[in-house]
Amino acid sequence: MELEQLTSPAAFRSLQRRIVAEHDWHVPRIVIPAGTCGQASGANDLIRVTKREMIARGLVGKVQLRVTGCHGYCELEPSVLVVPSGTFYPRVDMANMARIVDAVANDEVLEDLLYVDEATGRRIRRQADIPFFRHQTRPLMSRNERADPIRLIHYIREGGYAALATVLERGDAAWVIDEVKTSGLRGRGGAGFPTGLKWEMLASQNSGRPRFLVCNADEGDPGAYMDRSLLEGNPHSILEGMVIGAFATGAREGVIYVRAEYPLAIKHLLIAMRRARSTGLLGEDILGTGFSFDIELVKGAGAFVCGEETALVRSIDGRVGEPRQRPPYPVERGIEGMPTIINNVETWANIPHIIDQGGVAFSALGTPASSGTKIFSLVGQVRNTGLVEVPMGVSIAHIVNDIGGGPVASAPIKAVQTGGPSGGCIPASKFDLPVEFESLKQAGSIMGSGGMIVMDTNTCMVDVARYFMAFLKDESCGKCFTCRKGTQRLYELLDDIVSGRGTPAHIPLLTELAEAVRETSMCGLGRSAPNPVLSTIEYFAEEYRRHIEDKRCDAFVCQQLVGAPCATACPVGTEAWRYVAHIQRGELAEAYHVIREANPFPSVCARVCHHPCEVRCRAGLAGGDPVAIRALKRFVTDGSDPASFVPRRQPLNDRPPVAIVGSGPAGLTAAHFLSLKGHRVTIIEKEREPGGMLYSAIPPYRLPREVIRREVDALLDENITLRCNTALGRDVTIDSLLDEGFGAIFVAIGAHESLRLGLDGEDVEGVIPSIQFLKSFNLAGEPLARGRVGVIGGGNSAVDAARVALRQPDVESVTILYRRTRAEMPAFADEIDAAIEEGVTLETLVTPQSIRAQWGRLAGLEFLRNRLGDRDASGRRRPVPIQGSEEVLALDTLVVAISEGSDTDCLAVVGANRIDVDDRARTVRVDPVTLRTNRPQVFAGGDVTTGPATVIDAIAAGKRAATMIDLYLAGAELEVPGEALLPRHYVEPVALDDASAVRLSPRRVPSSVRRESFQEVEMAFTTEQARAEAARCLRCDLEFIGGGDDEATLASVGVTADQAPSGAVPAGGAAPGGFTVGPGDEGSHGDGAKPPGGAS
Amino acid sequence: MIDLRLNGLPVQVEEGSTLLEAAGMYGIPIPTLCHMDGLSPYGACRLCVVEVGADGRSELVSACTYPAQDGLLVRTASRRVLRARRMVLELLLASCPQSKAIQDLAAAHDVRRQRFHQEHEDCILCGLCVRMCAEQMTGHAIGFQGRGEHRSIGTPYDARSAECKLCGGCIYVCPACSLRCTYTDPERAVCGGCANLAPPCLDKSQFHDMMCTMDPCVACEIG
Repeated sequence: MELEQLTSPAAFRSLQRRIVAEHDWHVPRIVIPAGTCGQASGANDLIRVTKREMIARGLVGKVQLRVTGCHGYCELEPSVLVVPSGTFYPRVDMANMARIVDAVANDEVLEDLLYVDEATGRRIRRQADIPFFRHQTRPLMSRNERADPIRLIHYIREGGYAALATVLERGDAAWVIDEVKTSGLRGRGGAGFPTGLKWEMLASQNSGRPRFLVCNADEGDPGAYMDRSLLEGNPHSILEGMVIGAFATGAREGVIYVRAEYPLAIKHLLIAMRRARSTGLLGEDILGTGFSFDIELVKGAGAFVCGEETALVRSIDGRVGEPRQRPPYPVERGIEGMPTIINNVETWANIPHIIDQGGVAFSALGTPASSGTKIFSLVGQVRNTGLVEVPMGVSIAHIVNDIGGGPVASAPIKAVQTGGPSGGCIPASKFDLPVEFESLKQAGSIMGSGGMIVMDTNTCMVDVARYFMAFLKDESCGKCFTCRKGTQRLYELLDDIVSGRGTPAHIPLLTELAEAVRETSMCGLGRSAPNPVLSTIEYFAEEYRRHIEDKRCDAFVCQQLVGAPCATACPVGTEAWRYVAHIQRGELAEAYHVIREANPFPSVCARVCHHPCEVRCRAGLAGGDPVAIRALKRFVTDGSDPASFVPRRQPLNDRPPVAIVGSGPAGLTAAHFLSLKGHRVTIIEKEREPGGMLYSAIPPYRLPREVIRREVDALLDENITLRCNTALGRDVTIDSLLDEGFGAIFVAIGAHESLRLGLDGEDVEGVIPSIQFLKSFNLAGEPLARGRVGVIGGGNSAVDAARVALRQPDVESVTILYRRTRAEMPAFADEIDAAIEEGVTLETLVTPQSIRAQWGRLAGLEFLRNRLGDRDASGRRRPVPIQGSEEVLALDTLVVAISEGSDTDCLAVVGANRIDVDDRARTVRVDPVTLRTNRPQVFAGGDVTTGPATVIDAIAAGKRAATMIDLYLAGAELEVPGEALLPRHYVEPVALDDASAVRLSPRRVPSSVRRESFQEVEMAFTTEQARAEAARCLRCDLEFIGGGDDEATLASVGVTADQAPSGAVPAGGAAPGGFTVGPGDEGSHGDGAKPPGGAS
Repeated sequence: MIDLRLNGLPVQVEEGSTLLEAAGMYGIPIPTLCHMDGLSPYGACRLCVVEVGADGRSELVSACTYPAQDGLLVRTASRRVLRARRMVLELLLASCPQSKAIQDLAAAHDVRRQRFHQEHEDCILCGLCVRMCAEQMTGHAIGFQGRGEHRSIGTPYDARSAECKLCGGCIYVCPACSLRCTYTDPERAVCGGCANLAPPCLDKSQFHDMMCTMDPCVACEIG
């Protein structure tokens, strides 16, 4: 339909009626969003194929194609929406387009191409039912779906320009301003100034001087593109808003200031302006009413600061975009010194809605202080990314979790950055915060134009702050000194911290400088620039402290603190890269030394360690598989004799001896390292032989008994006295030990008490606490389980109990009951896999209700089914019991494995000598750094302080305790300066010829055999396998040491070639001196003096 | 006339005055590096910040650019102002430690150390030279280039500007760091004004056509 120049509002009305009447709403239409995001993901190809297929099938007229702007779900583009049915096909492949055309023509649905909801696994047909869309309210964005942005006729059909007609029919400028004021609309550009008020100020300027309207489309925040989607997808709504604004304020000229990096937006705007002019909706004599207003498009050259209104005005004037002091505000002196108002794209796009529905109706959405909807660009580590429109006042949690679908990977979400570079980071604990201007400001952030960057725990907040400062120091105009130099200095200070040069003085200086920049800068850019720094310091102080004091980046981002991630991830600092390199070179003796130096239990850890090194292995990032470090360690330790490592010892000193209570991994490690430092140590052990939780909790099919024995025996030396069958609280007490003359005591009694469910009937026969169950079997060989066995819990002790039960003779079946889903089970994933493989049944999402007993014996367990509710503070979805879903599981044995605590009663001393314990968690309270309890001579570590944790954590605690007790006995301060664990040894890489990308797994005993036996399940690598797997290592260490054989360079950074010819370290028992040591850390090897973090 | 309060003192100033002018008229000193009578106010150095408004809703603004308004409460030396000013001076000291003007101001404000990485820059980008050139000399020979940390002062395309009259005004107004003449490398000189008629430069034949009447700068005297 050719549109003619319209000469009156009435002519427009009749045209609109005609367009609506002539439109056939029932013809199926294929809608393809082709904004910049859509085109980038291939929408143009889809459009081409669709046209071709429609012509080839003779469907022209029967099916129509509509090309639109972005619909918001950018992540799933190129997508296809079918109207009027509302069917949505995400990420459409060109090859499938022909099928879709056919299906649309025949009114069918292609099930296999529909959206799959990841939470339920179900396919969802209609766009409106998809969680991403379902939780939104989209008055602005939904218009993008209904109109082709370059067709004025579409916009008019959808009700466009009716608001303008209404305004012109009424002819009352004051009424328009009143409506906008009533609506409560506030500027969407960030500051939130009431739009109606701004207009009124312009309208009341002395008449005579020309007035200007500006649409600020200089959208520059990283990761934010909501304005672009409106400019591209619905340019007429912005034009209509501006014409209405001009009528209300008496402006005759307008400017759209759009950044030159938005070519599609510029093209659509220019087309829209041309069409609007030729139809009498813009320009001279609009709709024949005598009212004239025209718009000019000015392209910004890409300076971020030009989004600031005074800089923008200068830029429009043709000068360098620099802000100036306000007042005078642009409403008094703007473009060419004339009164000017500047509103954001989204503000203008809201105007027609306000006129259409009335200000009162508009203000019904949102909150009283912030009305209407707001579009956010939701990006980062969230499952659904795209543009999200919600009423003001919804919580961040709603946007991130319900619309965004929660974290994209397994790492929980820790913060959201709002408001672009000038905004702040809001921590997950504050996600209940309503999204509106005031609440965000109070929380130290800003609404800004609506960017929302979601970050998970793999994001380092110090690095984030540094990133934004890097952006701002480049984008500050540089006019005012504190903004230019302040952002530069803030960046430098943050760079110091992420590079390991941070000192405790950095934080107060950062805060002081940030305050000064905020106070003294001229414009909004400088005044908000410190927000990223101040908000991260406020909410993530612990991360800053870790960087500065401990020299650790827990997100593994800051390279100068991380070094080789495998080594830093290891609680005892084992340099995995180093022994892996030796394995590749075939130097097993050297490899064993590297392992044993850091860890006194290498064979144990080679079997049961939860290998945090593999979690952080760079080969495992970006979709690959990490190097099988634990299996490689097993390969080395299986072929090595513990006696081959002779640690460096200090001569026996005459300080008072140390008592260690408990001979588990924590106690034995502490004893070993204290002995190496020349202390005499006595170990008090309740059981018959040392080993602690290694024996009692870990079943032999994972950790054969002789492996424990061999390793423990190698640690016991002449400085260590062992007192078995002696229990704290029964045979000795803390005070009796001190009376005996011990100078310090290390309590490492583990966590041997299963926590109770708290249900009636928990004491009937057949209900067994997991520790009792495992101990009876592991220590005494008594199989307590029979018949149908249930295990409650999702941790490792639950899985261990289940697998042990399965191997007992009288057991028919084993079921694990867990309240959340499998993905959330704390047990190691490969253990769960192995259990299921062996025949254990997994029942997830259940809550035990009551224990059914018959004749005083367990008969069954009644439980409720759960569904997943809201997310809790940990970011996991809370299990919510479904009332009325009771079921009963008939059981003969029930093992309760929900968690473990310590027998803290044995420490109970009344009065002043009491040791502080946490009665609820049943743990001993200690200082996390010094491991000291409230009594200065008493230290504690391992499970007794943390609750059930891992072997390697216990070893790390033992190592730390040894360091601290040594310092304590020497009368020194209990302090160890933090130090980044950077690679310092050079192992020459082997030339790679056939390195494979595929991770190798050691062989396992078949599950059929496993069920019957307690034989060790996992076998070791063969030599060929081990060398091939080792060759997959990416050698992150070389980034720090540099390749080549330039010895001078290496020496200058304190590096020693770690490639002694194999003869230098005889396999049978190397002299410690034969092992090469870096010049910088001579003497620190083998003495174990350093805490886990500090071992070089 | 406009009535306002300066440090509690009720004062009257002419319409259109800035706070800096108002304070100057009543003898209240406000330090500044980028302001000069006869040149338009710019607000670059941020040293002249003062606190305007009542408690709770007050803010810091640069006195040189802020217009005096009826009923405005202005404090030129509140604790907040001095704290901010000291940080500005510390930043200046960290960048241009060799400037006598900055050293004196820092000493006057009891700023005795700076805690940042020491730099040795010779320009604080106050823009006096640019304004001098444009507003008093109608030269428009020099201007700002780049933004953020890359901002600097120079001529278009860094070539000798045909607009430059070699008047030396830019060097004359330089407040802090004494813009150096670069007479030994005239192609790169901003204005070459130091090649003036005073004895040390007279011998240098390549500057015979220059018209500057300034005193020689230190570099010339040494050279």
